[in-house]
Amino acid sequence: MASTQHALLSPAELAYLHAALSLTPPIRPDGRSPAQFRPLVAETGILPGTNGSARICFADGTEAIVGVKAEVERTRGGYEGEIVEGGGAEEVVTDVNDEEKKGESDWVEMTVEIPGLRDDDATTAFLGAMISEALLADGGFSRRLWINRRFHWKLYLDILLISPPLSYPLPLLSLTTHLALLATRLPRLKSEGDEDPFFDDDWAAARYLYPRNKKDGKTTARPPVTLLVMAVGNNIIFDPAKEELAVADVALAVSIGEDATTAATATGDDASLMMDVDSTTAAAAITSARNLRLLSIRTIDPPSRLTPSGVPNATNTAYGAATTQKQPEARTAEAEAVEGVWRAPRGGAKPLVMAALVHKVLEKGGIADEVLDALHAVDLG
Amino acid sequence: MPVTILAPKAMRQDYGQADKQNISDDSDDADSSNGGAELDYAELAKADAEGHTHKRPRIAGGDFEIVTPGEVITDDPQWMRGHGTYVAAGTTSIISSVAGTITRTNKLLSVRPLRARYTPEVGDLVVGRIVEVQAKRWRVDVGATQLASLPLSAINLPGGILRKRTETDELQIRTFFAEGDLLVAEVQQLFQDGGAVLHTRSLKYGKLRNGMFVAVSGMGGGGGVVRSRRQVWTLEAASGGGPIDVVLGVNGYVWISKHVETPEGLVEKTSGITNLDESVSATMYSSQNDRIGPETMREIARIRGVVTALVDNGLRVDEDMVMRGYHEAVEMAMVSSVGADDIYLGGERGEQLAAVLTAV
Repeated sequence: MASTQHALLSPAELAYLHAALSLTPPIRPDGRSPAQFRPLVAETGILPGTNGSARICFADGTEAIVGVKAEVERTRGGYEGEIVEGGGAEEVVTDVNDEEKKGESDWVEMTVEIPGLRDDDATTAFLGAMISEALLADGGFSRRLWINRRFHWKLYLDILLISPPLSYPLPLLSLTTHLALLATRLPRLKSEGDEDPFFDDDWAAARYLYPRNKKDGKTTARPPVTLLVMAVGNNIIFDPAKEELAVADVALAVSIGEDATTAATATGDDASLMMDVDSTTAAAAITSARNLRLLSIRTIDPPSRLTPSGVPNATNTAYGAATTQKQPEARTAEAEAVEGVWRAPRGGAKPLVMAALVHKVLEKGGIADEVLDALHAVDLG
Repeated sequence: MPVTILAPKAMRQDYGQADKQNISDDSDDADSSNGGAELDYAELAKADAEGHTHKRPRIAGGDFEIVTPGEVITDDPQWMRGHGTYVAAGTTSIISSVAGTITRTNKLLSVRPLRARYTPEVGDLVVGRIVEVQAKRWRVDVGATQLASLPLSAINLPGGILRKRTETDELQIRTFFAEGDLLVAEVQQLFQDGGAVLHTRSLKYGKLRNGMFVAVSGMGGGGGVVRSRRQVWTLEAASGGGPIDVVLGVNGYVWISKHVETPEGLVEKTSGITNLDESVSATMYSSQNDRIGPETMREIARIRGVVTALVDNGLRVDEDMVMRGYHEAVEMAMVSSVGADDIYLGGERGEQLAAVLTAV
């Protein structure tokens, strides 16, 4: 999948960028270290009409807003109308097993809007697919939307990129979605069992979709995050800017989730119950050992493949080389690399590089850990 | 820490204070706020309480007032309209056509846009990127409202021969400049509609290589590249970086590259017009970079960081500021925890740099 419109760069620039990024340590155009992200401004709760919302603004001016709206929907295949008055009383089981709480992926509807691109543009569709895929990969998320056997929450996620796509917007959109979901609250359920859901009017009593620990206000489980990682030579670079992506050998979108180690915490009600009962032990167990999980990996077709190759001085007619050159000769000249001349990368990614990329993301105290920690610190007002 | 997440900046608090020293007082154009969205809730509530709507108060202090397109600046006929304003037919009110700050020169009202595209002027040194190749000319993106054009007849041919451009040249037009290529040129001529015609008929101009490009917004908001005495200079980089060329295009496109011995340098060594021509052909249309050491690359990235930090903090970009900023950045890196190799100048570090530069 091609990543947005490719940046138009001259072969000389591409050769320079590639050379600079292949050094050890790489020299990035904006001077960041390989694992450093662009500084970003984040806030939540900016849209009063939504269940949860967030805004993230990168220092380069790209900005995204995500709004989450929820509505109650009747579950298809649930036993609609089967409960007869009176007779249903026995059927209503108050404690439902976790296994029974199953979500479906169509409980989440996601729209991605990128200025200047059509809704059915391949890039937009692909971005939306990648973000929703990470969210729905393990079924843990849609399980949170379970109300009872007959009803569930339907979640609408509206992801808007406000600025023109100056760089590949995937990390920005994913981080914003993550924050918005963390800030999402659903009204507290007052009804019990499988009766028609009835909710508490008091918004202050609303429950967070990702319930948090009362003591330190931190959540026990977290929505997934998709990170953009690229490799140039043997260097692994995080959060690439547009011009960096333009010379990437490999670009990967890696989605990671935090596995709630004690699987029981995955469901909303149980987690809140646990918070009340034995918050100390549970919270300690979870915060101390973050259990990162790889949810999905997608290769992004780096725009570098479409770039024009540079012409070495030896074959440059404007440079003074003989004008009459046969085609086969030109081809052999292209095959061998000349220093300082840009050649678009050919072929696939090396397995070793791919493995190193994934390892770097997932390792303990690695990037994913730190990104999640940083997002933790955002005030979820 | 790879990620720094900052809290959003608080809204300006002085925004709500009504400015009675406006050109137009509130009663004059009370109707102007009826059509648009009112964003100032505090003021709106106050207006509601008083039973009528108020014009959005402008930023107090009198230094600058921000207007948006379509906003009535005044309907007092004593004012004359300047750039960025228009007078609707049949009325006397002056309306802003851009978002920007009001400037008053005697009785002339004009609006300086916050963001503007580059307006070419004859003689400007610009950095451009080829976006289109046509039969006899190239179309060049110079950050203006329209693409500039570079005719085939306005470039130096390799070999330096002065001759008529032939069909052969037209056929191999891409060997000179292809799509995406960067070049430095001069604005030779302007069309009525503001489109520019460029030329590269000097040894100073031509294709760019051996370096890095950065686009900063030209003019508006105080930041950006300004026209100055010298747009191109060579500096001696710190920590063994060697000489580095900086080209500040008036259009806000900046090119920073390793300095290579220019043809002018060769001119002094050689003599005679034919030798000069030979040397021209040697560098003119090459897309092959020379060998560039990591030290040079690091310093080029540092200069790029200085330029972006200047723009991010609304400072002007010219030779003086870039040089001072660069020396300051080198000093800052010395005391940084990472060491002299630390070239990152984003976020807080950029603000720090700007603070030092404005303090002097």
